[in-house]
Amino acid sequence: MFVIRMAWREMRWAWRRLLFFFLCLSIGVASIVTLRSVVQSVRAALRAEARTLLGADLALSTSGPWNPEARRVIEGLARGGTGRTRVDLVETLTMVRPADPAKAVSRLVELLGVGREYPLYGSLALEGGRPYSHRLLEGRGLLVRPELLAQLDVSVGDDVMISEARFTIRGVVLAEPGRRAGAFSFGTRAFVDRRDLEAAGLLGFGSRATYRLLLKMPEGDAEQLARDLRQALRNQFVSVRTSRSTEDQLGRELGRAENYLSLVGLVIVALGGVGVWSVIRVFVQQKLRSVAILKCVGGSTRQILAVYVAQVALMGLTGSAIGVLLAAGAVAWLRPVVAAATGIETGVGLRASAVAQGAGIGLIVALLFAIVPLLDVRHVRPSMLLRASEAAPPRRDAVWFGAALGIGVLLVAVAAWQAGSWRSGGILAGGFAGVSLVLLGAGAVLVRAMRPLQRSRHLAIRYASRRVGRPGSQLRPVLLAVGLGAFLVVGVRLVQHSLLQAVAISMRPDSPDMFLIDVQPDQADAVRALLRAAGASAEPELIPVLRARITAIRGKETTLDSYDDVRGRGRGLGREFVVTYRSGLAGNERLVAGEFWPAAPASGAQVSVEQGLAERERLRTGDVIRFDVLGRAIEATITSVRTVDWADARAGGFMFVFRPGVLGSAPATFIAPMRGPAGAADRARFQRDLTVRFPNVSVIDVREILAGVLRVLGSVAVAVTVVGSLVLASGILILIGSISMTRFQRMYEAAVLKTLGATAGQIAAMLAVEFGLVGAASGAIGAAGALGLSWAVGRYVLDLPWDPAFGTLAVALLAVVSLVAVVGVGASLDVLRRKPLATLRAE
Amino acid sequence: MIELQQITKTVQSGGRPLTILHPLDLTVPRAQFLAITGPSGSGKSTLLGLVAGLDAPTAGRILIAGRDITGLGEDDLARLRSSTIGFVFQFFHLIPSLTALENVMVPMEIAGRKDAAPRGRDLLAEVGLTDRGHHYPSQLSGGEQQRVAIARALSNDPPILLADEPTGNLDLANGQHVMELLLDIRRTRGATLMLATHDTTLASLADARLRLRGGLVDTGGG
Repeated sequence: MFVIRMAWREMRWAWRRLLFFFLCLSIGVASIVTLRSVVQSVRAALRAEARTLLGADLALSTSGPWNPEARRVIEGLARGGTGRTRVDLVETLTMVRPADPAKAVSRLVELLGVGREYPLYGSLALEGGRPYSHRLLEGRGLLVRPELLAQLDVSVGDDVMISEARFTIRGVVLAEPGRRAGAFSFGTRAFVDRRDLEAAGLLGFGSRATYRLLLKMPEGDAEQLARDLRQALRNQFVSVRTSRSTEDQLGRELGRAENYLSLVGLVIVALGGVGVWSVIRVFVQQKLRSVAILKCVGGSTRQILAVYVAQVALMGLTGSAIGVLLAAGAVAWLRPVVAAATGIETGVGLRASAVAQGAGIGLIVALLFAIVPLLDVRHVRPSMLLRASEAAPPRRDAVWFGAALGIGVLLVAVAAWQAGSWRSGGILAGGFAGVSLVLLGAGAVLVRAMRPLQRSRHLAIRYASRRVGRPGSQLRPVLLAVGLGAFLVVGVRLVQHSLLQAVAISMRPDSPDMFLIDVQPDQADAVRALLRAAGASAEPELIPVLRARITAIRGKETTLDSYDDVRGRGRGLGREFVVTYRSGLAGNERLVAGEFWPAAPASGAQVSVEQGLAERERLRTGDVIRFDVLGRAIEATITSVRTVDWADARAGGFMFVFRPGVLGSAPATFIAPMRGPAGAADRARFQRDLTVRFPNVSVIDVREILAGVLRVLGSVAVAVTVVGSLVLASGILILIGSISMTRFQRMYEAAVLKTLGATAGQIAAMLAVEFGLVGAASGAIGAAGALGLSWAVGRYVLDLPWDPAFGTLAVALLAVVSLVAVVGVGASLDVLRRKPLATLRAE
Repeated sequence: MIELQQITKTVQSGGRPLTILHPLDLTVPRAQFLAITGPSGSGKSTLLGLVAGLDAPTAGRILIAGRDITGLGEDDLARLRSSTIGFVFQFFHLIPSLTALENVMVPMEIAGRKDAAPRGRDLLAEVGLTDRGHHYPSQLSGGEQQRVAIARALSNDPPILLADEPTGNLDLANGQHVMELLLDIRRTRGATLMLATHDTTLASLADARLRLRGGLVDTGGG
C-alpha cells in the first residue's frame, strides 16, 4: 500500500510536467485502437455478408462460353438436393453511347447480363427507393450507375446503343450485392437481361466475357458440393467458390491488413516510448534527493523502485485511457470515410479486443522504456544529503545490461505480437533500432560539425552551439522523434514525386494513350483506314492476339492447380497467356539470347520468351513447350529470349511471341495501340464514331485510367502523410515534454545570465538558435534518410527513374527548423519572463 | 548504546586521499545528550553520517545496541534507520511533493504501521504544527520545515536521535524554538541525542561534548 500511495502522491505533484508523457503515449495508443477497430469492424461486417458478397452459396465461373463437358458435369452434380435455386450471369466489357447521334460521346461499361432469379442474396438498391424487379430489364431495359448518366449526358427514360441494339435506361443503381464501392474496374457497371445481352451480338468469337453460375442452397450443402465439383472439374477452366471460402480468404487478407496497419500504430507508440525514456531520465535526476531521503528514513531500494515503477504504470494507464478516448473520436470521424470506401455503414466502432490491445501496448511500452533509467535509483547514496556533491554517475553494471537486453527482447516480442509473426516483428524492431542508431550516430557527427560555430562572433550562436550536444540538451530524443517524422513525411513525398515523374514520362508525346481491343479480322483493314483518317498514325499497327495455355514443358505435363491462377498474375506456367506473332522485335524489346528468328525456315512452331519469365521458370533456348490454342495443341521450340521494357507501351508487351506461320491461320483478334486526339471533345467524338462503325470494339482510354491511378496515388500519399504527421506530432510533444522537464535548469541559467547583464532578447536569441540547430540536425538527417528511401524504393521496388527533388527537400528542412525553433522558444517563454532573484532564492 | 571502534574515514579529493576522520574510539551511553563541536570541515557531519549508516567507514567498527552495523548492506541499514535512528538535517530535506503530514507519515508507512495518519497528526501537534499538515514544504517557513523534519525523525519512536546542525539554516528565534523542542523531546522520551553544532552555548547544555578539529577528537566529560 505504501508503494501505491507514494506513487499516487508523486503523480499528483508532477502531473502537469508529465502531461506530455501522457500525450506521447496516447497518440500511439489511439492509432492502434483506431486502426484495429476499423479493420475488425469491416471484417465482422464482411463476414456477416459473405453470401451477399459472393451473391450465392456456391459460385462457378469461366472465361468463355461454358465447355459442354464441364456444363454436363455441373448439371449432374448440382441437380441433387432440395431447395436449390440457380441463376446464370454473363459479364463483359463493351461500349455504350447515347442513341441521340448529336451526343458525340461513348463510354466503356462492365455489362452484367442477369437471369430472372438474380440476385440470390442481397438486393439492388435503386435511386428513389424503387424496389428492384427483373421486369425492369425485360424488353431491353438497362439499369446504370449514376456516373454513367453524367458521362453520357442522358437521363432515366433515354435510349442508348449497345453494339447495334437499342436499350432504354429504366433506373439508376446505387448499390449492388457483392460489389464494394471504390473497387477498381475499367468501366462503370450496367445491368441488362442476359438474353438481351446475348442477342446484342456482344458475345462473338474473341470477346472477353465471364460466364457465371450462382447457386443458392441449404446451409451445409455448399462445401461438399464444392469439393465434388473441384475434383470433377480438375484441369477445366472453371472456378468454384463458396461463401465460406470467400469469408476465409477475406478474413485472412483483412487479418494481414490489420496486422500491418497496427504496426504503424506500434511505431508511433514506440516513439512515445522514446518520449517516456527521455522524460523518466530527467525525472529520475530531479528525484535523486527524494530517493535519498526515502532511503534515509528506512525505504529499501526495492520499495523505492516499486514506487516509481508503480508511478510509471499509473501514468501508462492514464495515457492509454486518453488514447482510447481519442480513438473513439477518430473512429466516429472515420465512419463516413469507411462507408464511402467499403459501403459498410453500420457496425464500425471501437472493438473491445482493439481497446485491450492498444491499452495493453501503451502500458507495456511505458514500463519497458522507463525501467532502464529507473535503475539509476539503485545507485543513489543517502550520504548525498550530508554533502552538497552530486550523486554518483550512473553505473552500467550487469543488472543494467541484463535489463536492457531483456527489454530489447520484450520489445521484439511486442512487435511480433502486433505483426502476427516473429519475422515481421523482428524486422520492424530491428528496423526501428537500426534507424535510431543511424539517427543518433548522425546526430553525434553533426554536433561535431557544429564546433566551429562555438567560435562565432555572435553570442547567441556561440552559447547555443555549446549547449547542443552537452548534458541537458534535447538533441537525442528530439533527433529521434522529429527526425523520424521528417524522414517519413518527406520520404513519402519524394516517392510520390518520382511516381508522378514516371507517369509523366510514360505519357510522352509519341506513346499511345488509347488501345482498341477486340478488333475482328474482317474489321482490320477498315480500322486501319479509320485510324489513318483520324490522323492517329500514318501506319496504324494492329497486333494480332490469341489466348494460349501451356500444357507441357520439355515433354512434362503442367498441372492446373487452381483455375483462379489462370486469370491471375500467378507465377505458375499453368495460367492463360495472351500471345502474338510477328517477324521482328518491337521497339521496346531487346534480344538477350538466341535468334529472332533463325535464318533457316522453321520446320515447326518457334517462340520467343520474355526474360523474366524464362529466369523464373528456368526456360532455355531449345526447350519445347506445348501450347493449347483454342483447343488445338501446338508444340513450339524456344529460339530466343528477349527483354521487354514494360514502361514503354508503344508495342504492348508479350511473354510469348510466335514466329509468323503457325498461328497465321488461327482465329485471332487485334489490338490497336494509338495516339488519340488531344482535346477531350475530339477524343469523345472519335470514340463514339468508332463504336458506331465497330460496335464490338472496345476503347481503353489510358488517360482516364491514369487519372484514376493518380487519384489513388494521391489518396495513398495523403494517408501515409497523415501517419507521418502523427509521428511528427509525437516528436513535437517529446520536444515540449523535454523542455518542460528541464524548465528549472533553464530558469536558473537564465537568472544567472540576466544577473550578468544579458537581456531577455539575447536569451531568447540563444534559445532560438539552440532549438534551430536541433531542428536543423533533425531535419537534415530526416531529409537525407528520405532521399535514400526514395532512391531505394525507386531502384529496388518500383523500378523508377530517380528524381531527387532538392526543392522539396529544402522546403522540408526549412519547415522542420522553423517548427522546432518556434515550439522550443514558445515552450520556454516563462523562462524569459521570470525575475532572476526569485529563481536564485529558490535554488 | 553507540560504540565506535577505531573509526576512520578517508575520501579521494583531487586524486589524492583526504582523511576526514582519524582513528576514533567513542562510546555514547543510552539517553546521553552528546554535543559534537568543531569548525567547518572538522568531520562532524561525517561522524553523524557514519553512526546513521548513511556512509561507510574506511576502517573500524560501529556497534549500535551491541550490533555491528559496519558490514551491513544498504537495505539492512535502511531497516536499521527505520526502527532505531531518527535523523534531522541542517537543510531539512523534506520531500517536496508530499505535504507536511505525508512527510511525517512516510517512515511509518515504510515500517508498515497502520496508525501512520493519526500518529502523524499527533506528532505535528507535538511540534506545534497542528494546522499546517496539508501544506507543502514550499509553503512553510524554514523553522516550520525543520519542525516537520523533527516530527518525521520521531515517527517510529527511535531510541537514537541524530541532528546535524539543525539550527544552522535558521534565524536566531527559530533556531531557539527548534532547540527547545529537541531538548524537550529528548527529555520526555529518554532518547540518546547526538547533536553536531557550531553553537558553543548550545553545546554547553549537553551531558557530554566531543570536540573535533581536522578529523581528530578531543572529548570532555559532563
